[in-house]
Amino acid sequence: MIQFILRRLLVTIPVLFGIVFITFVLARIIPGDPCRAVLGERATDEVCDAFIVRYGLDQPLPTQFVIYVGQLAQGDLGDSIKYSRPVTALLVERLPTTIELTLLALTFAILVGVPLGLISAVRRNSPADAGTMIFANIGVSMPVFVLGLLLAYIFAITLKDTPFALPPSGRLSSGVTVTPLAVVWGLEDLQGLPRAFLDFISGLYLFSALISGQWSAWADALRHLILPAIALGTIPLAIIARITRSSLLEVLGQDYVRTARAKGLRENAVILRHGARNALLPIVTVIGLQLGLLLSGAVLTETVFNLTGAGRTMFDAITGRDYVVIQGLTLVIAVIYVTVNLVVDVLYGVLDPRVRLQ
Amino acid sequence: MSRAPMSWSPRLAVVLAILAIVVAACGGATTSPSTASEAPSSEAPSSAAPPASANPNFEGMAYPESGEAPCGTADYSGIMKKITAVDELTVEFQLCAPDPAFLPKVAFSVFGIWDSDYLAAHAPDKSYLTAPVGTGPYTVTEWTPGQRLVYAANPNYWDAANAAKTPGLEFHWSAEAAQRLIELQSGNVDGMDNPGADDIATIQGDSSLQFNVREPLNTFYLGFNVTKAPWTNEKIRQAIAMGIDRQRIVDNFYPEGSEVATHFTPCNVPFGCEGDPTWDFDLDAAKALLQEGMTEEGITSISTKLQFRDAVRGYLPDPPQIATEIQSQLRDNLGIEADLDLQESGTFLDNNAAGNLDGIFLLGWGADYPDPTNFLDYHFGAGSGKNFGEPFDDIAAALTTGATSLDDAARQAAYAEANNLIKQHVPAVIVAHGASGTAFKADVSGQHASPLSNEVFSVMQAADRDNLVWVQNAEPLSLYCGDETDGESLRACEQVNEALYSYEIGGTEAIPHLASECAPNDDATVWTCTLRSGVQFSDGAALDANDVVVSYAAQWDTQHPLHIGRSGAFDYWPGLWGGFLNPPAS
Repeated sequence: MIQFILRRLLVTIPVLFGIVFITFVLARIIPGDPCRAVLGERATDEVCDAFIVRYGLDQPLPTQFVIYVGQLAQGDLGDSIKYSRPVTALLVERLPTTIELTLLALTFAILVGVPLGLISAVRRNSPADAGTMIFANIGVSMPVFVLGLLLAYIFAITLKDTPFALPPSGRLSSGVTVTPLAVVWGLEDLQGLPRAFLDFISGLYLFSALISGQWSAWADALRHLILPAIALGTIPLAIIARITRSSLLEVLGQDYVRTARAKGLRENAVILRHGARNALLPIVTVIGLQLGLLLSGAVLTETVFNLTGAGRTMFDAITGRDYVVIQGLTLVIAVIYVTVNLVVDVLYGVLDPRVRLQ
Repeated sequence: MSRAPMSWSPRLAVVLAILAIVVAACGGATTSPSTASEAPSSEAPSSAAPPASANPNFEGMAYPESGEAPCGTADYSGIMKKITAVDELTVEFQLCAPDPAFLPKVAFSVFGIWDSDYLAAHAPDKSYLTAPVGTGPYTVTEWTPGQRLVYAANPNYWDAANAAKTPGLEFHWSAEAAQRLIELQSGNVDGMDNPGADDIATIQGDSSLQFNVREPLNTFYLGFNVTKAPWTNEKIRQAIAMGIDRQRIVDNFYPEGSEVATHFTPCNVPFGCEGDPTWDFDLDAAKALLQEGMTEEGITSISTKLQFRDAVRGYLPDPPQIATEIQSQLRDNLGIEADLDLQESGTFLDNNAAGNLDGIFLLGWGADYPDPTNFLDYHFGAGSGKNFGEPFDDIAAALTTGATSLDDAARQAAYAEANNLIKQHVPAVIVAHGASGTAFKADVSGQHASPLSNEVFSVMQAADRDNLVWVQNAEPLSLYCGDETDGESLRACEQVNEALYSYEIGGTEAIPHLASECAPNDDATVWTCTLRSGVQFSDGAALDANDVVVSYAAQWDTQHPLHIGRSGAFDYWPGLWGGFLNPPAS
């Protein structure tokens, strides 16, 4: 297995290089000049000339690319044109929002989608099956921004001042803070990569508040993520439910399931031990794909619920012609995507010993 | 500059430490208005005592340290000649040319005064971008990038009568008007900026909310490059000015409070509406004039382009809809066929600056400071660019008179002449001044909307709550506003940093602030500002004249060691003062 993983990692290098190259070229094909996008319409030609020199945008494209790859080789993603700050600092601040939102959305999708699919398959052609599949079709069809605004309207305005009210935006309520782990653990002097990692973890509010015992902050952070997670998780939920149903139906028609029933096993044992387990493979594949899609596609949810995550930052970078942020974020998301796919491949072998990792 | 014991909270220190380690940059600072439409209250520190006697050891700075800026040479296009700290509380600005707009300019947020020692210590590592120190009613206690900016009342604020009425202030941001409204309706925030035009009626119909119209201080126009046919013909331009029903556009596409423009400069700017109003809508006269113009040009019809960008601004709230309306008016009223030419924003601005827009272009201007120079000189002055082709010499001459005369009657006459000439030459069809607004919970007192978008939160009280939460369109880029241009950053800076003058709350008049007075000499080439005594920065340092010199010099001279900022562009300085000292080589 280790050999398999190493080989996959080696194959990843040219893939990532290709992504870096294509992103670099595509970012510069976008019409518009970064000076006026960043500095606004008041920027004079004199100011723009100096701006372009300052950011090395006056160099030929091949030269810019070589410089950029050189920076990457040293682990430097460059400085944002808009914010004049390292892209890594932006990632430390903003990626945790997206990761937390994505994981919560996926958890919601799995916890609801898999049981729905199972029920639907077991009670095939029943009203429960029809209801579940109608729900799944609506879920797949409804745009995130429509569902998001609808949820925000219902839970933030209609149910305002009731116990069911939920905040429509942001990550924490006014006056609530999650104390960073570095402060909680007295590691304020920590510097460099370990400190950046610690701050990144601190940005995962649910996790950091949980492990540091900041319960009220944890509850507040969770309340803020419920609506966005439901909005973001509904489409994957519907997909997972449909895949679970069809996969389980296929498995339930296999000879070994008939044998299990003939042996006199209880129906629950047949479905869960022999059916569901063998139906998992395509479900895991879909979950892996959905995780990647959610990570890179949370921009609408982040916009509707005013969460400044990686998706929103990427959108702003594209509209603001912030080449460096576009490149850096794309690379990081690509790395996450590749890693998730690798994990899924490894999981195949764990779930089904017949699959050999070659 | 003399420093009292530090009084930062441990929390702020923690935040600063984290930011210093993890991040590498950001910044900002600016002004903040004072009370009502008058100078700060009698409780405010005065400037009565002879300043020099306050600290006999004070060593005043001057910039440039020796000599003066080389006015009128090829190397220097600016109008600032020298800034001198005459004594501890007196600053003298020498200018290359008279500048009657000096007061509205120095009241602009960008020219907030910083503690010179703090600048020297925190500009090089850019930590001042996120941790400003100012004399304003609030201090920054936390900035969680992407999420919120938190302020606390400045306990040492010099103007006790106008100290923060709500102890805490939070800025949130969201680009979507609908999202901001949901936040307000849900009670998560106390106030919001720029409700969507369609939402204003909803807000007005909700007794728990209140809406304030933001007086329009901008102009939307249809521009022509007068060097490109058929716009070379003045009659054709005049015909289009008469053939567009501007009232219909304002009624259908602009929010409440917007106005049909009569002059290029809005009338709430002093000297803005001198001279005759622009052409009335007169279809018959327009058709006749158009025919005349086309005959002179030897053409029988006009096919052109309507060039615009899809960037929503206060002066242009719905670009595609308004462009479509103008397209149909041109066709139906005048028989002019115009194809819509939507360009990417940056490309459009570049094309405009280079004089490459050959159709009719939709553009506008929002005020930086309330003076006609800000509206007219940029577009039609002697040094204006190629936006409209070549500048008109007669307009430029009138504007030069207006921009260099201290006498009100002379300025009035100059701007009347300039406006009449703009009406005659029609480099642009003046269409509308677009209003916007703010909305607050009904229990917030002192709430308002400022025409310059510089709302003063210290005068607002959020009932009995400890925090006033405000949601605006975007996150500030930094809190050192000498190097920022966006209104969202400027508003955030204004709560912390103050300038020599400020604009009256909810208005445009420049009134004394950190300076009790700035007085010109006879020809307005020297302005002498007297600072209030006893004003402290939030870090305990006392305000003195050297702080003013350093704060200005850091923006003025590109070679100054503190000329750093966020992007290093310092856009506004050349725009307002003509040019940098030691400008970068092109």
